[in-house]
Amino acid sequence: MRRLRPWQQAAVYAGATLVVVVTLFPLYYMLVSSVREPRALFARPSLLPLPFTTEQYAQLFSLTNFPVYFRNSLLVAVATALLTSAVGCPMAYAIVRYRVWGAEMLIRLMLVAYMVPALLLAIPLFTLMVRLGLDDTLTSLVIAHLTITLPLAVWLMYGFFRTVPPSVEEAALVEGASRAQAFWHVAVPMAFPGVLTVTIFSFILSWTDYVYALVLTSSDGKKVVSLGLAAMYGAYDLRWGELMAGSAVISIPMLVLFSLVTRHFIRGLTMGAVRG
Amino acid sequence: MSFPGGGLRPPSEAGAGPGVAIGVRAIPGPAARAFRLDPLVRREWRTVVGFLGPGVLFFVVLVAVPTVSTVLLSFYRLESLISTPRWVGLANYAAVLGEPRFWNALLNGIVYGAASVVLQVALGLPIALLLNLRFRGQALVRGTALVPYVIPTVVVVFIWKWMLDENIGIVNHALKLAGGTPVSWFSAPAIAMASTVLVGVWAWTPFVTITFLAALQTVNEELYEAARVDGATAGQRLRYVILPAVRPVLVIIVLLRAIWMFNKFDVIWMLTQGGPLQATEHLPVLAYRMAFGLYDVGGGAAVATINFLLLLAVVAVYFRLVRVDET
Repeated sequence: MRRLRPWQQAAVYAGATLVVVVTLFPLYYMLVSSVREPRALFARPSLLPLPFTTEQYAQLFSLTNFPVYFRNSLLVAVATALLTSAVGCPMAYAIVRYRVWGAEMLIRLMLVAYMVPALLLAIPLFTLMVRLGLDDTLTSLVIAHLTITLPLAVWLMYGFFRTVPPSVEEAALVEGASRAQAFWHVAVPMAFPGVLTVTIFSFILSWTDYVYALVLTSSDGKKVVSLGLAAMYGAYDLRWGELMAGSAVISIPMLVLFSLVTRHFIRGLTMGAVRG
Repeated sequence: MSFPGGGLRPPSEAGAGPGVAIGVRAIPGPAARAFRLDPLVRREWRTVVGFLGPGVLFFVVLVAVPTVSTVLLSFYRLESLISTPRWVGLANYAAVLGEPRFWNALLNGIVYGAASVVLQVALGLPIALLLNLRFRGQALVRGTALVPYVIPTVVVVFIWKWMLDENIGIVNHALKLAGGTPVSWFSAPAIAMASTVLVGVWAWTPFVTITFLAALQTVNEELYEAARVDGATAGQRLRYVILPAVRPVLVIIVLLRAIWMFNKFDVIWMLTQGGPLQATEHLPVLAYRMAFGLYDVGGGAAVATINFLLLLAVVAVYFRLVRVDET
């Protein structure tokens, strides 16, 4: 590509700066608000974290149920992520390696399932959970989150397993390995970036879900971070410092995790596989 | 912030990416193939069943059955999710369609969806074109531009509610400093819709930017250079080389954004709960309110079903345009 003229370069940098500022300002303001003393916070907005205090974070962890919400979210997200990979990977593998009747239809259904609004499934899922005696449990949340993450996993892994050449597995099969062994010892390691991406995506999707948590759980001890934070807004109105502290605490793990799989995440986006 | 692995790399640079290409052509129906078992499948059927079984079972029980049962519920009258249903035929649909609130919600959904898609695409495209240029720090800016996409919705909502607070929000504070008058971002009906759209624009424009950026990488560099050598201006190159090349992706982005924005529940629910005066109430919010708030599960299911049918129409268009098989 041609070199840009100086004024064009200046325009590019100005544009890029604007994008970065508009993107990061709300997050910056969240952090600033989370560490300002409450009295100052409500007196006058400021761009500086002054007068500085960590009181809000201390309050969040000592006076509210936030630690419980955090633990619940962690349990649900880890279980969802592991189950998604455990069920989704073999499924995608079988669709790629075997010419099963209706496999293409199955892949399309995954995509449709992925676009189905959570709220449509929420009503009957709630009824189902009540019948199974699972309403207001973390288990019901894991099951519900799988309806979002599993289509994503199958769809993504379908793409990843297709890039694994069958010849290596065939060599293993000739040596006497079973198909399950070939899958586990050959295909999975070769598609490992995919497996990792799927696991982390599932974790993020489960962690950020609000709709299923709203419908399926009700008692305070079963709330996850999204619902817990939303409930804090209603319960202690104007506690913006704590809300911003809580927001920071639940966003930062997502940013760290996301940075690990950015590249594959973008591949996923390009395939239209990630819910927006 | 910087991402390991060289920041954001578009799929075209990543070599043979997962094999789903976005392209435009009609797909032959899957029913064209006759039912017969592949020899390999016959020989290893235990493995096939073991690998596919749990997933398929899960789908049937937790996606297919609930979807069908929502549709079925819409033909029943029931006050709560656990009371005994009574068959009422199409009465719920008649009631819903005769309700001005339904048409208000449908219209709101269309306004919200259309405004969101237009703004997200109108901002996402130029940003993608910008990030496609070479400049120092490009990888870093690309990484940053995607950040809002992974911030939990609840956090997005609270940050914006806080910044747009009528009395102590920083935006109104800035407006006052600039000599303007403070704005009631979420309590005035006309403005509340605009505010909810804007919050969505911040959160989901990155999706458009990155998808479009990935598509830009596939534009034929030689064609672009040839146009430049032949004296095409930047505007002409954009119009005659870049846009035709990325148009298929553009169509898909618009469809996907339309599908997702039309069904977005959590943002609107947390920002305004559909208020003030139902100014931001769209079909998903109405369905939730009817089923979980107004004790009219059948009516809520009817609204959800209508919403689903509208969605299926768009999904059908999507499948006519996108192939999911080979590259």
